[in-house]
Amino acid sequence: MAGIQEVYDLVVKGKSKLIGAAVQEALDAGCDAAEILNKGMIGAMDEVGEKFKNGEIFVPEMLIAAKAMKKGVEVLKPHLASGDQGALGKVIIGTVAGDLHDIGKNLVAMMMESTGFEVIDLGVDVPKEKFVETYQANPDTKIICCSALLTTTMPSLKDTVALLNSSDFRSNIKVMVGGAPITQAFADEIGADAYTEDAASAAQKAKELAS
Amino acid sequence: MLTKRQNMLEVIKGGNPDRFVKQYEALAFVMNTPYALQYPLMPEGPGAPAVKCAWGYTNAWPEGMPGAFPMHDPEHLVCPDITEWRKYVKAPDINYTAEDWKPCQEAVAAVDRNEYLVAAFVAPGVFEMCHYLCEIQTTMMNFYEEPEAMHELIDYITDWELKWAEQICTYMKPDVIFHHDDWGTQKSTFISVDMFREFYLESYKKIYGYYHDHGVQLVVHHNDSFSATLVPSMIEMGIDVWQGCMSVNDLPKLVKEYGKDITFMGGIDNGKVDRADWTQEMIAEATDQLCRDCGKLYFIPCETQGLNYTSFPEVYGAIDEEIEKMTKEMF
Repeated sequence: MAGIQEVYDLVVKGKSKLIGAAVQEALDAGCDAAEILNKGMIGAMDEVGEKFKNGEIFVPEMLIAAKAMKKGVEVLKPHLASGDQGALGKVIIGTVAGDLHDIGKNLVAMMMESTGFEVIDLGVDVPKEKFVETYQANPDTKIICCSALLTTTMPSLKDTVALLNSSDFRSNIKVMVGGAPITQAFADEIGADAYTEDAASAAQKAKELAS
Repeated sequence: MLTKRQNMLEVIKGGNPDRFVKQYEALAFVMNTPYALQYPLMPEGPGAPAVKCAWGYTNAWPEGMPGAFPMHDPEHLVCPDITEWRKYVKAPDINYTAEDWKPCQEAVAAVDRNEYLVAAFVAPGVFEMCHYLCEIQTTMMNFYEEPEAMHELIDYITDWELKWAEQICTYMKPDVIFHHDDWGTQKSTFISVDMFREFYLESYKKIYGYYHDHGVQLVVHHNDSFSATLVPSMIEMGIDVWQGCMSVNDLPKLVKEYGKDITFMGGIDNGKVDRADWTQEMIAEATDQLCRDCGKLYFIPCETQGLNYTSFPEVYGAIDEEIEKMTKEMF
């Protein structure tokens, strides 16, 4: 399947200007759309995530890879069955109230999307009630991810998780937390289901939790 | 007993300090430059209204945050397209006269230069300015997608920094430039070493070279992140003191390897000690062994914050107390 390998390579290298043509060529050559998505794109992003985690590549390389994947998906979209994209389910993600940091949260969102989740990104400085409201509007959500990058917003993360833990839908979701000052011990203390150190591990963990 | 100034200089030159430098104690920041008086750098404090800064970006400082943030929603983003940066980015006019500099000169004259080093504060740095103007994720991708335009923008910012350096050296004549530019997260640099050198090394060689050639004794660069891999570049660009170096950088190893060329000021991570539930034991844990491992020369124990304050105000003094304790143990 040379076509799929080409798509894979272009995603890894972040060639967003070339990917559309490569995806079209793969389709024209008879490659299955779901296979192009799973093996060509999601597979490539797994490699990108792993390299980022190991310090072999940096934020720019990860961003251009994610952008290439997005461009490729645009071409692929009309050929995909409705369940192919976001097949792993919905994830709600946001940085907690009082905290404006977004790079780490965005990288996690990108990796989750690339892994096969449908991501609802609430942005930064998200009031705890907004996570609950968003779940209520999307009751098929499997995971809620909350991020805090500051020691001063750790209490806000704690409050957010406490509100989620007291909600009547708690048993239907998994709560993941992350951010620079967060540790496994803190995640355990506040009653989150999972903590991971980086974006690639977060996507892998989400996959485990959603399955 | 050496003065604070003498003691810090002894640490940096590998001489005979008689105690640990307590964080920022030797630096007398003089902030009332005409530029600072004309344009706000950031809101007055947490919770104060957002302000539009000299380069056109708007800084917000929400309650509970340790510092201000540029706003990048469509309404506030300065440069939505790097290929058209000339259309959007306008450097502020800084042709200040001697009269404009008078209040700053008076503040400088009031400093006891035997006891303190007068420090001028410059922020944001060249890398930060790029992402303040263009938004960080877009900036990161621009390095690959529009490298020529990025080089042009960096040259434009560099030229402005050089004009500002000329003003500072002509009228203020500080001993120290305290220059901000964060280059990474707590785990990694934002960009690879090669990319950093390609885009920023020459820019900073010019800027810091100018300061050194025009009477500034020390360039202290704030960068609170993992950046151990950038240390050779820091030395090459003329940084004398890297302030904000986080403990993840393995400071004892860096001091040993590079101490003769650069001093490391930091190691006490804000994330570990500047918190609501801080205790003296927590501070001791972050400080004591660090002092023992890094030693008396080329190292200044300091919180990683980029100025002499902490989010929880009493933490700053508690760190000083801990450093005094280590002076008693080691000197």
